[in-house]
Amino acid sequence: MSKEHRNTIKVVDCQVLAHYKYEGDQYIITLASDVIANETKPGQFVHISVSDALPMRRPISVMSVDKENATFDLLYKVVGKGTQQLSERKIGEVLSVIGPIGNGFTMTDKKRPLLIGGGVGMPPMVAIAQSIKDSDYHPFAILGSEVPFPFDAQVASNGKDYQGATHTMPEFEDWNIECRLASLQNYEGSFKGYVTDLAKVYLDGLSAEELAQVEVYSCGPHPMLEAVAKLAKQYNLPCQVSLEENMACAVGGCAGCVVEVQTDNGPAMKRVCVDGPVFDATTVF
Amino acid sequence: MHNNLKTQFCGLELDSPIVLLSGCVGFGEEYTRIEGFSNTDVGAICLKGTTLEPRLGNIPSRVTETPEGMINAIGLQNPGTDIVINEIMPKLDKKETRFIINISGSSIEEYGEIAKRFDDSDIDAIEINISCPNVKEGGVAFGNDPDMSYRVVEICRKNTTKPLITKLSPNQTNIALNAQRCIDAGTDGLAVINTLMGMSIDTKTRRPVIGNNQGGLSGAAIKPVALLKVHQVYQVSKKYNVPIIGQGGIMTANDAIEFIIAGASTVGIGTALFYDPLVCPKINDGISQYLIDHQLNSIDDLIGTLELNSAISQCDIGSK
Repeated sequence: MSKEHRNTIKVVDCQVLAHYKYEGDQYIITLASDVIANETKPGQFVHISVSDALPMRRPISVMSVDKENATFDLLYKVVGKGTQQLSERKIGEVLSVIGPIGNGFTMTDKKRPLLIGGGVGMPPMVAIAQSIKDSDYHPFAILGSEVPFPFDAQVASNGKDYQGATHTMPEFEDWNIECRLASLQNYEGSFKGYVTDLAKVYLDGLSAEELAQVEVYSCGPHPMLEAVAKLAKQYNLPCQVSLEENMACAVGGCAGCVVEVQTDNGPAMKRVCVDGPVFDATTVF
Repeated sequence: MHNNLKTQFCGLELDSPIVLLSGCVGFGEEYTRIEGFSNTDVGAICLKGTTLEPRLGNIPSRVTETPEGMINAIGLQNPGTDIVINEIMPKLDKKETRFIINISGSSIEEYGEIAKRFDDSDIDAIEINISCPNVKEGGVAFGNDPDMSYRVVEICRKNTTKPLITKLSPNQTNIALNAQRCIDAGTDGLAVINTLMGMSIDTKTRRPVIGNNQGGLSGAAIKPVALLKVHQVYQVSKKYNVPIIGQGGIMTANDAIEFIIAGASTVGIGTALFYDPLVCPKINDGISQYLIDHQLNSIDDLIGTLELNSAISQCDIGSK
């Protein structure tokens, strides 16, 4: 039989190199690993042992990689015991990491990727942007958050104002990729509304020819993904979504992290860890 | 592999006493995704619980962390007996280890039918699951009633000459009595124990965390329970030379050694893999070294060597 799947996931000890706290119990942790930095594709995740005191690992999407310095960054928000324990890890400590895991996003021949990330669903969008920064893609990214953004938003240099959305994430500016922010809160330079409302503003500004080149990529809370999938359907755009679910093994062994998807043979339970985490939105919603 | 770990179980030659447990490792190939993991490090692999017809399994969430363990309620998601036999089993590399199918029926006759179909396959052994806590019909409904357990094992015995292992539930009053009945019905081996029934509640929503409301508790939390059940079952099974797969919360070589001393011939590893996918070689090394340190030639010399303390009742202690 084909053994291509074998040895694709590594178990590595990663030292904590940096660990920053942001408002809203958000953290960005930088970990050292040559393997994860070099082998991770956008949309893939790692399964981290956050503490010896907890029996289960925690799956977290990779936000960005630094191949030169062999490091990678994760963004997470403290929502329970696991992320609380992770937030207590100090620089110099070593964490066991399994990764990279999963089928990430597939970049297609649609040259105008629309990246929509919400909350801790922002990282895979950052990862996609980083991977296509020097390509012939013309992406547009929308990042949404209801707690202060975990970066210092700055005015986008192209000066475009999308109904109040004028600010961007600094990394996107460095990569020359257009990005805007959305929130129901009154954050400076952010669009006031849902990410999908801002997406409409962007899409409505495109010509028919440009619209035909759009593919939507998204990660975020389930209701947001549902709204994104609906929007994509309205505009007749292909849409890939990255899902999350409670996870035990993260290698396809336990079938603990399934999502119901529609297939040609009827409904099926697919494992978020290795069948996903990225799925065609039309099969999930 | 260490030579002193080679052992026999229900007539199968195993290179290690480690058995990977059903439901934890899919259909045998999933963990090979991990670099450094090898099926050759284990004596046998119990494949995912298989029913006659395909099953979608339970609604999410299916897993949640609990103190020193986890609760799962997968609900026997599987593609059905025929697909397992015709499409999955041919892909297994039988040079690497031994493969055991785990079967569940919704009626006694169905258990018999599945056993019959696997009898015609090249599977190494059949594990009868009469202890799944996560499905409405079948599973534990058979495993909590010794007479029903007898009838399930009896019909499987009639329908196969393959080694039969019966997986016992801890969720019953007298596990030793149930073991006796399964032996009477012709089981070749026993797997002790399946998960303990448990629940976890989200206080924000006042709902159970698990979609199925309740599930099976596994991990280090259940080790003391499992160890006692192995000890109790061994008192019966040793009379008939029926070997036990000891399982429940084994995380380290020392845990495994405890189970062997209590009466297990082989040791099941499941939840431990979720935390450390490379745990098997470490357990092999630890058991092998223990045998050397204690001048024992093989696992056989260690099985059931538990020496009980002289029993003093609580009343006696209190009166002194």
